[in-house]
Amino acid sequence: MADGVGVDLDNVWIRFGDFVAVREANVHINGGDFFSFLGPSGCGKTTILRAISGFLDPSEGRVLIGGNDMAGIGPNKRPTALIFQNLALFPLMKIWENITFSMEVKGASTAERRKRADELLDMIALEGQGDKLPSELSGGQKQRVAIARALCAEPDVLLLDEPLSALDLKLRQHMRTELREIQQRVGITFIYITHDQGEALTMSDNVAVMRAGIIDQIGTGHDVYDRPATAFVASFVGENNVFRGKIQEIQGNEALMQSNRSGLLRATITPSAVGELKVGDDAMMFIRPEALALANGDSHDKARISAKVLSEEFEGNSYSVYLEGDGGKEMKMSMPNLGQDPEASRGQDLTLSYDVGNAMVMPAGELASE
Amino acid sequence: MKSNVFVSRLALGIYLLIFFGYLLGPLLIMSLTAFNSNAFPSVSPWACFTFEWFQVLFHDERILNSIKNSVIIGIGTVILSVAMGLAASLVLTQVWAKWRSTYYTIIIAPILIPGVVLGISTVVFWDRLSRILGPASDALFHNGIFLTVLGQSTFIASYAMLVFVARLQRYDPGLTEAALDLGATHTQAFRKILLPFMRPAIASASVLAFLASFENYNTTTFTFGRYPTLTIELAQKVRYGINPSISALAFIIVVLTVFGAIALEAWRRNKLKALAVKEGTAPVGRSILPGFLRGNWAAVVLVLMSFAVITVFWAGQSYSPAQCKQRVLELKQAETQRRIQELQLQRQIKRQADALKGPDIFGPSSQSGTGTAGDNPFGGVFNPGNLEGQSGTGTGPTEQPKPEEEPKAAPKPSPFGGVFDPGNLDDVGGN
Amino acid sequence: MKKPLIFSQFFRNNGKMMGGIMMFLVAFWIIVLILLPQLSMLDFSFRFNLPPKELGGPKDVYTLHNYRYLLYGADGKEGTYNTVDLMVFVRTIIAAMAVTIADLILCYPLAYYLGQSKGTGFVRLLVVLLIIPYWINEILRAFALRIIFADSGIVNDVLMTLHLIKEPIDFIRADIALYAGLGYAYILLMLFPMYNVIESLDRNQIEAARDMGASWTRIHRRIVIPHAKPGISSGMTMVFMLSAGALAAPQILGGPSSLWFTQLVYQWFNGSLNWQQGSAYAIVLLVSSIVIVMTFMKIFKVNMGDIGK
Repeated sequence: MADGVGVDLDNVWIRFGDFVAVREANVHINGGDFFSFLGPSGCGKTTILRAISGFLDPSEGRVLIGGNDMAGIGPNKRPTALIFQNLALFPLMKIWENITFSMEVKGASTAERRKRADELLDMIALEGQGDKLPSELSGGQKQRVAIARALCAEPDVLLLDEPLSALDLKLRQHMRTELREIQQRVGITFIYITHDQGEALTMSDNVAVMRAGIIDQIGTGHDVYDRPATAFVASFVGENNVFRGKIQEIQGNEALMQSNRSGLLRATITPSAVGELKVGDDAMMFIRPEALALANGDSHDKARISAKVLSEEFEGNSYSVYLEGDGGKEMKMSMPNLGQDPEASRGQDLTLSYDVGNAMVMPAGELASE
Repeated sequence: MKSNVFVSRLALGIYLLIFFGYLLGPLLIMSLTAFNSNAFPSVSPWACFTFEWFQVLFHDERILNSIKNSVIIGIGTVILSVAMGLAASLVLTQVWAKWRSTYYTIIIAPILIPGVVLGISTVVFWDRLSRILGPASDALFHNGIFLTVLGQSTFIASYAMLVFVARLQRYDPGLTEAALDLGATHTQAFRKILLPFMRPAIASASVLAFLASFENYNTTTFTFGRYPTLTIELAQKVRYGINPSISALAFIIVVLTVFGAIALEAWRRNKLKALAVKEGTAPVGRSILPGFLRGNWAAVVLVLMSFAVITVFWAGQSYSPAQCKQRVLELKQAETQRRIQELQLQRQIKRQADALKGPDIFGPSSQSGTGTAGDNPFGGVFNPGNLEGQSGTGTGPTEQPKPEEEPKAAPKPSPFGGVFDPGNLDDVGGN
Repeated sequence: MKKPLIFSQFFRNNGKMMGGIMMFLVAFWIIVLILLPQLSMLDFSFRFNLPPKELGGPKDVYTLHNYRYLLYGADGKEGTYNTVDLMVFVRTIIAAMAVTIADLILCYPLAYYLGQSKGTGFVRLLVVLLIIPYWINEILRAFALRIIFADSGIVNDVLMTLHLIKEPIDFIRADIALYAGLGYAYILLMLFPMYNVIESLDRNQIEAARDMGASWTRIHRRIVIPHAKPGISSGMTMVFMLSAGALAAPQILGGPSSLWFTQLVYQWFNGSLNWQQGSAYAIVLLVSSIVIVMTFMKIFKVNMGDIGK
């Protein structure tokens, strides 16, 4: 549904005293998109959400919803609904009262509210539970009530502030699917805040990766995973092996980097750094564990690294091999378990190969701390 | 080892006995004095069991009027201090961290400022303000009710604020934001979300504020003007002459308090029990007691106490201590008679002895003086029956002596006080 | 993420109407009820007691006269001190401290006992029994003591019956009734804060210490008392301030020859109608008790935030 209401952040700065929480954010969110802000805690993503929902004003710049400037419009006048991290269900109200609170404040009659509550309870598969109190529901049920309550307000934009973080793993995975389904059904814009890259990648049309108040990259899940714009994005989204070094040679969109420990490495320059990365620059090369393989006869066209095996772990569907990597850091390689012997034992020297297209090189930068 | 445990238990028992004796003993004795017919509140000697002091109390216009004042002031104080305390506690949650401790110190300070200082400063300030604003404001700014409500609210709001802060610590400000986000106005969010959450705290703060206002003496004593509260009236009575009608009032207050405390406890237990039943942890069993009473000693005591009070009231309607009083009166008269005779006997002996010593110029005059005194006006003045009679008729609704005058009245007309030893006087004056 | 109290943000969080009402109430309380009255009392204490028509006249000037009076007496000669009033002041402060310490000693064991034996019906009963006197009027509590300490009161009666004394003791004149009454009046303000903090102490800590062979005194000195410190200091502050500022108990239970400092204030105010002098005495009482409390809080490293918990 492309006809939903879009959201734009136009050069938004948010400061608290001397502290800059958000720096020069420029984001365009398409109407009807499932858009995620992904970043570690304290990166300012919740602050952005609060600015969109109207709980605080940007110190600079504009927030536009459906093209309208929201300056001076309070949270109760904006076409947004927010699902809070702790859900913030009203503990003293019954479920149906919670769900239809937005109608109550507009003066709707009890009968109208009851009817609407029943429809929404049907939708979230909680038929007949409307007269319970929130404390009588399970975590996943509360989650769905919070969604129904927000949807009842018929917002143009639904904002979700890490709503799944309190759930256990299994339920979280189930709720991801459910959220995505609901979004597709109602067709409104969802803006989702999370520090869990799995959530962001599975559900979102587009993801913005944030670091310390700065938006590093905006793109599809594939973009940020496969073509990270900065070292931070590369190290934050998914697992990655990092190699540091200096650029020795540039050929088109490929570069040769002299690494500190692992010799000369060939990699693709990440699209946003093409033309920026110069010979002699400090650089970082990233390669994912699943992009590494044991070198064998038919991999002439691939780049190679050799390293010493430190340990090996069997994880059921795959093996993880830890090797002596760059800069004293461990390097990880994962191999699918296809019934073969991993052929890696401690102390053994291995030669690994990788596809140059899977190794990304970019200017050196701050890494996400584990 | 075993004797050690026994000794420490014994020590604990004795300590608890002393502590609670100190705490409750005076109240118990005070309550008992309300039923003794002695004019000075006492339990020993026990004269007659009586309800007359309650009658005296119920016909004391000043007390009744002061109760009215207390209630008016109490309601005003509850409204003002609960509103200010709630607003202050809400601001506290939002105040800039740098200013928070300063702000907290200011709003907690009234608890620590001596009550007399609060009273004086309130009176002084409004007096000054009325002089600035001119005579038009005089009537209000010198009004006892107005000043007392303001003076008391100054510190009672701090108590209310503490109650609210404790409750607000468990409030999730996200709830208010959620309501706003769902389209509620700030007023709606306050009324529909925050207020219901704060309701228990508002109830307890109101009770606390009312009690604190009702009890307050130090501040009110400077501010009350022409509207004495019950506490002020009580203090006047206690300071300028004690009689058991104060005990009667105290007894009523004690009973009400005990009722309140037990009712609260019963309610609390009932709620706990309901919770336990809901969680399925309560023992399920049949009992002859109705559900409310089961496993709830407080509720049982509450019901028993209600019966006791009803019985006592009923007894009070029909019981008359007249007979007992008559007996006490006769006993006293006999006692007085005996003493007089004794005294006369002594004098006679002394006179005889003096006569034996020889004539004295001053002798006869002095002798005759004491002599006539000893004979007649004596019994008239000091006859306890007189006094008893007065308090006896005092139970009637019409004429009654000011209670506190009674003890004073006795010693006054006694030019012969020197005749009696002080103990004797006390005895008569006290009865 | 603490938001600063910039007014616009405050009104944004609370709405114009609710924010306005809240601001008004808090400002009314702090400015009109707390600050201005205290300031005008301070101002008053530096003025002469003049008849109304001379107010604003040439004689209406600031003076230290009222404070000098407390120090040097009526003639104002330096060197001869106003010993009567000064003695009353010193006695009030020292006696209030003594009452505070006595209450502390009396309450600590009970607070510990109640705080550590949770939940049993007996303990609840004790708490209910504690609440009852807490709710009863200060005047009536003083009155109750007046009754039992009277010449023919139960205390003298019992002592005489036991032949411990021959003549009734005048407890009022000996001020015993007064001290008992002051201790009695505020004892629960000592007990409840201590009870509350001790209740929050994890019983396992005590058991662990006992397990390691600590004696009872050491357990209290090293574990219970440090944990209960906020409650103890809160209770002591309240009892001291309220005892030093008490008026009812001294008026009802005080002997005829010995006065409490608040009674002097009362006399200046209601007896002599010299508000200026009364204000000066009240300021002295206020400032000195605050200084004393602050000093002790500094010595024992207690925060203002602990008070009232």
